[in-house]
Amino acid sequence: MNGAQHILDAFHRHDIRTVFGYPGGCIMPLYDALVDDVGTEHVLCRHEQGCALAADGYARAGGKLGVCIATSGPGATNLITGVANAHRDSIPMLVITGQVPSGLIGTDAFQETDVLGMTLGIVKHSYLVDSADDLPAIMEEAIHLAQSGRPGPVWIDIPKDILLTEAHAQAPTRTGSGPTDCPNLSEALTMLRAARKPLLYSGGGVSLAHAEARFRAFAETSALPGVVTLKGIGNAGKHSDQNLGMLGMHGSRAANRAVDECDLLLVVGARLDDRATGKLDTFAPNARMIHIDADAAEINKLRPADLAIRGDLNTILAALTRELETEPLAIADWQKQCRTWNTTGGFNAADNEEPLAPITGPAFVRQLSRIAPDDTVIACDVGQHQMWVAQHYQFNHPRHHLSSGGLGTMGFGLPAAIGAQFANRGSTVINVAGDGSFMMNAQELATIRRYRLPLKMIILDNQCLGMVRQQQELFYNNRESQIDLDDNPDFVAMARAFDIPALHIERTDQIRRGIETILAYDGPMLLHVAIAREDNVWPIVKPGASNRDMIDESQRTAKSSKEHVA
Amino acid sequence: MNPQRQTDTPSYTLTCQMSHEAAALERLCQVVRIRGFRIARMAVESAGDELAIALTLEGTRPINMLKSQLEKLHTVGDVVLGVHEMKQTKTA
Repeated sequence: MNGAQHILDAFHRHDIRTVFGYPGGCIMPLYDALVDDVGTEHVLCRHEQGCALAADGYARAGGKLGVCIATSGPGATNLITGVANAHRDSIPMLVITGQVPSGLIGTDAFQETDVLGMTLGIVKHSYLVDSADDLPAIMEEAIHLAQSGRPGPVWIDIPKDILLTEAHAQAPTRTGSGPTDCPNLSEALTMLRAARKPLLYSGGGVSLAHAEARFRAFAETSALPGVVTLKGIGNAGKHSDQNLGMLGMHGSRAANRAVDECDLLLVVGARLDDRATGKLDTFAPNARMIHIDADAAEINKLRPADLAIRGDLNTILAALTRELETEPLAIADWQKQCRTWNTTGGFNAADNEEPLAPITGPAFVRQLSRIAPDDTVIACDVGQHQMWVAQHYQFNHPRHHLSSGGLGTMGFGLPAAIGAQFANRGSTVINVAGDGSFMMNAQELATIRRYRLPLKMIILDNQCLGMVRQQQELFYNNRESQIDLDDNPDFVAMARAFDIPALHIERTDQIRRGIETILAYDGPMLLHVAIAREDNVWPIVKPGASNRDMIDESQRTAKSSKEHVA
Repeated sequence: MNPQRQTDTPSYTLTCQMSHEAAALERLCQVVRIRGFRIARMAVESAGDELAIALTLEGTRPINMLKSQLEKLHTVGDVVLGVHEMKQTKTA
């Protein structure tokens, strides 16, 4: 086998059946090997960024390794945003790029870039292969690294000559690491039992550790009131009456209030991101903190933990659950208080039932949440619509909510939905986008058409960059700058140009029928939803401010006219 | 128009072993930089497939945070912190 065939051999050994890629000069030996391969489904996207983000969506929705492939130079550089997106959200990904032949590296050859050098900061690990005989071992190690511990992207850059060279080495056999020991939890239990107002704070680490069921059991057994980060949405399920929803900049008043007043914060698989904590000095000021995470570097990074527990979330949560089954926590008053806050300060605003009223983002998302099947995967883009989905859609599982959390990548949603549809072929997959984000990877409509993917696209179109406009209104004295998108294309006609049917709606009484129509259609379909330009996401915390200082709609006029932030 | 002022910048020594892979030192130095430290002195010795690296670093952030980030690098092992000093530096 040559180097290229060894790559496919590794795919087969690790049951990697779907990869996302785009061919070009230096990766051609791998594409040549694909011609004779029967076990690998190669999905041709229309831009390398689409490949990387589709691999990301595939990994998030399917709980599997995402694989993307590109050529050297522009192929590799186009991957970078998608790989950085995976890195910031700890998504397991294998990236394979062709490089100019070994002898030409460093000669400014055609389509040569220093891929290894320029990607060091966005990978968990990376390789430049200098011998075909190393390739089987590197593939083995890379596939393991991407998925182990705290997952992340691993990049293998392979010169063209190495792909063509016969390699005789065999892949080494990797022995399993076996179950990990459970850390001592006695102090954690003592702290939990001593607390009068303990709060569960969970993030994306729960699903990254495949610990969804253990977490759900722990949350139910402990009956701890809980808040979630953007990536932790769905951890508690849609039926938990202890879940106060998302905290942070666009979190619920109930969630931020509970964090403010709790006396113990039990952080599970979260890294205390600034969008979640607000100003750290005033974050959970009365609370001791137990931090449970797989990554030692996250513990004490931003806020010192009173107790740090590093290890496998499955093991730790199972042990904690067993202890609490025997002796439940006595926190009835605190639970009742949190439920009251959730009633008055959750995302429960009444819909405007006036049939001719313009559609609002929250009203649309709540209808979508009621109508879409329980196992629907929603892939968001970035902006106001992303926050409306996070606030108002009731997710039953974290893998149903795909959102670019760390990097905040506009254009994530459409390719991520493509990846999610390949990972969940029988499920409903919906990309909820804004008009700005949709245009960032609109070329992937061609991928949807090519594979006749039945995914649904919803564009909440306010003809502007709504989140930027909102912050300019509130924090920059309403001085709008470069946010108008009122020359957007006709999205309905655009979809039809890709042989994808589309609908336009603009009134409240059209929401239900619009959603039901696209869901019932046997194939891809786009729903274009006109919403008002001036709608904002409420509440909001000014970047850098304390979560106590949430601004809601009632303060809008005062903020818009008085506040100016340099 | 800020007057010159005296500040105390902590200085640390740190040693580690690293695989002699492509871009090894770049990988290490990038983490040092992005996590808020400046390299004042660097000594590297190659022994077979391994590099022995000794760094003198300056920075105001907690050094243990850098240590834990370096330990996450797949090809870095045995990160050992040495003596902690305070260095007088002038900043504008």
